[in-house]
Amino acid sequence: GPDVTTQDLKPAGKENPSNVSVYEIVLSGVSGSPLERNISVASPTKVELSCKLDKNSQIKNPQVTWKKGSDTISHTTKSENSWSIQVTILDSSQLGSYSCILKGKQEISAVFHLQVPKIEGKDKPIITYEGDAAVMVCKTDYIPIAWTWYMTNGSKQVAINDSMPAKKYVINRQSANATRLKVLQLTKEDGGLYWCEATFQLGKSKGKLELKVLSIMAPLKPFVAIVAEVVIFVTTIFLYEWYSKKKEKRAGDEREFDQIERL
Amino acid sequence: GQRKEDEEPEAPAAGKSRGTKGAAGGWAWGVVFHFFLVNVLVMGMLKTFGIFFVAFREEVGGSSEQVSWIGSIMSSLRFLGAPLVSVVCQRLGERPTSILGAGLVAGGCLLSTQATSVPFLCFSMGFLLGLGFSCLYQAAAVMTAKRCRARLAFCNALARSGMGLTFLMAPFTQLLIESYGWQGTLLIFGGIMLNLVPSSMLLRPISTHLPRGPAGIQDQGALTAKKDLESPGGCSDGSTPRESQLHSAQEAPSTERPVLPHGRDASAPANPSALGRLEKPTPESSWLETSTEATRSSKAPKKKPSQPLLDFSPLKDPIFFIFTWSFLFSHLAYFVPFFHLVARARTLGMSSRDGSYLVAVAGITETLSQLLSGWVADHDWTKKYHLHVTHLLLCGATNLLGPLATTFPLLLAYTVAFAAFCGGFMALVLPVLVDLVGVEKLHSYLGFAAFFAGIAAMGGPPLAGWLYDYTQTYVCSFLFAGACALLSPISFCFEPAAQKWKLKKANL
Repeated sequence: GPDVTTQDLKPAGKENPSNVSVYEIVLSGVSGSPLERNISVASPTKVELSCKLDKNSQIKNPQVTWKKGSDTISHTTKSENSWSIQVTILDSSQLGSYSCILKGKQEISAVFHLQVPKIEGKDKPIITYEGDAAVMVCKTDYIPIAWTWYMTNGSKQVAINDSMPAKKYVINRQSANATRLKVLQLTKEDGGLYWCEATFQLGKSKGKLELKVLSIMAPLKPFVAIVAEVVIFVTTIFLYEWYSKKKEKRAGDEREFDQIERL
Repeated sequence: GQRKEDEEPEAPAAGKSRGTKGAAGGWAWGVVFHFFLVNVLVMGMLKTFGIFFVAFREEVGGSSEQVSWIGSIMSSLRFLGAPLVSVVCQRLGERPTSILGAGLVAGGCLLSTQATSVPFLCFSMGFLLGLGFSCLYQAAAVMTAKRCRARLAFCNALARSGMGLTFLMAPFTQLLIESYGWQGTLLIFGGIMLNLVPSSMLLRPISTHLPRGPAGIQDQGALTAKKDLESPGGCSDGSTPRESQLHSAQEAPSTERPVLPHGRDASAPANPSALGRLEKPTPESSWLETSTEATRSSKAPKKKPSQPLLDFSPLKDPIFFIFTWSFLFSHLAYFVPFFHLVARARTLGMSSRDGSYLVAVAGITETLSQLLSGWVADHDWTKKYHLHVTHLLLCGATNLLGPLATTFPLLLAYTVAFAAFCGGFMALVLPVLVDLVGVEKLHSYLGFAAFFAGIAAMGGPPLAGWLYDYTQTYVCSFLFAGACALLSPISFCFEPAAQKWKLKKANL
């Protein structure tokens, strides 16, 4: 059936000499939910978006419209079974969702989402302990101009910059496309959501990380419980052995005494 | 007069021997339980290392290769540390060694929580844990051999079935890491490993905890014997019923200390009844047993062992080479297919869920076949190593036919067959060694055999990986494993010849 994939689509491999990346969606002619593609654009470039009709589809000679949002785009190119548009992206206003709608007996469509690159943070919370240091890393596939870190204070997002105590936060740029925030001397208040924001030429993009600060008592409680259980076992076995040794010694002594008497 | 004295001590001796036999039987199950627990925890720790691997890479830093050293050191030291551990065991006894091992493991886990770099972890988690594991393993294995004379194969298989439970450790570890982070998880693991201390206390030493009752009877026997006849013949006559009772009661004392006999002229070809349990009694071991009886009866304080620190005698013994050759190749044959089973399923187009299903089936089949093989071996319908060899040959044949399995049902059939035969021969490794060398020298033999097996275990996975890289197919891994499994029983063909050679050498 129709698939709704939302992965980043890398250029289809065809790069024209004028450095235009071509992205293509193939439509099968079965109507259903629209096919979608996410395209990451970091810096101003030209892209060509094309919708191709599958050879085996039922629709013949459809009427094709390209839309950005709700506005129709007029400059479309048609080749044998594909319709395409060229988009020159200079700033963030050119980013958005571009859709091609094929109207035949049924209406099928595909959508291209042009957006700034996504930042990968961490899905699972990072667990650290009080007094320890936490390291948070944000990575992306493209090279941003700058990185900014935010921490959430209540419901507000507060930027981590030089106004913050220098001994607490250390930010360094690990490589061109990664940034690292180190938070030292953690306290319970340091837990919560952290955001790393990458500034690209075409806009900003955020990644989310969650930090959990546990007190040392948290894992210590089960540990102490287990140690207590171990100590109980050890003492029980020890007492049992000591008791049975005493009993045998007493029995042995008695028997020896009897035998010596008899002798 | 004398007969009356003989009768009266006889009755309580019989009662006492029955009582201690019951107690000894109970303690045997305790030892099996401890060995089972060791298998569960040690194997579980080794298998869940992969989960820690990810956490270490992210938070402690270091490349993939560096972090995998920790795991390699941990699993290889488990085998390589065996000779050293066997020396410690012989000096201190099994129980202290086992407690030491448990302490090392728990301490290593706790120390690792403070780790900040990979070399630190290599020491605290790799070295300490590996050494602790080998202490635990050696002590538990030898103690099982000493306690479960009659049903060694079954008890061994029962203890090894603990490895089948390790699949529970993985989701448990994952849960702990998500709740507490890797440091908290290691802390809790340290506590869990501490549980091995009370279970180690179940490894009651056989000789030192001799109840003084039968020792008193022994004295009585000695006194009566001495009273009647001072000749060696009289001694052995008078003490034969006592000794045999004692032997059945305590399942034969087994100290390797060649303590000098004290005032008793023990005859070398001693009681065949007492040594009936030992399948291949060597003249040395019988000498040791009677001499230790002598010392106990005369209540002489135990002399300090005059044994060399590291007993290299196994290396001069052809039986050792026979066993180690077989052990080495059978381990190679065991590990390699398991590593590559899931990958092979994947290359044949099956989903990873099918792959994990295969692994689960393999685990269950192996456990069941271990138990069955152990039970059958204990009936002594044939020599244990014949069964061992049969399992190995069938395993080799299965592996050679393995590449023919290209669909899921065929692969499943291969997995079941392979796991069944593997379980069969794995369960018999310890009983076969006990058959070949007896329990007294088990420590040094097992130590050195484990050392050589450790070298094989270290080289096995990289070798398998290299085979795959070179041939670009997993077929070779299975052929290699089949070849190893077929090579390994070859050495047993030389076993009768080696025994004859040994006897000839001993009689010279």
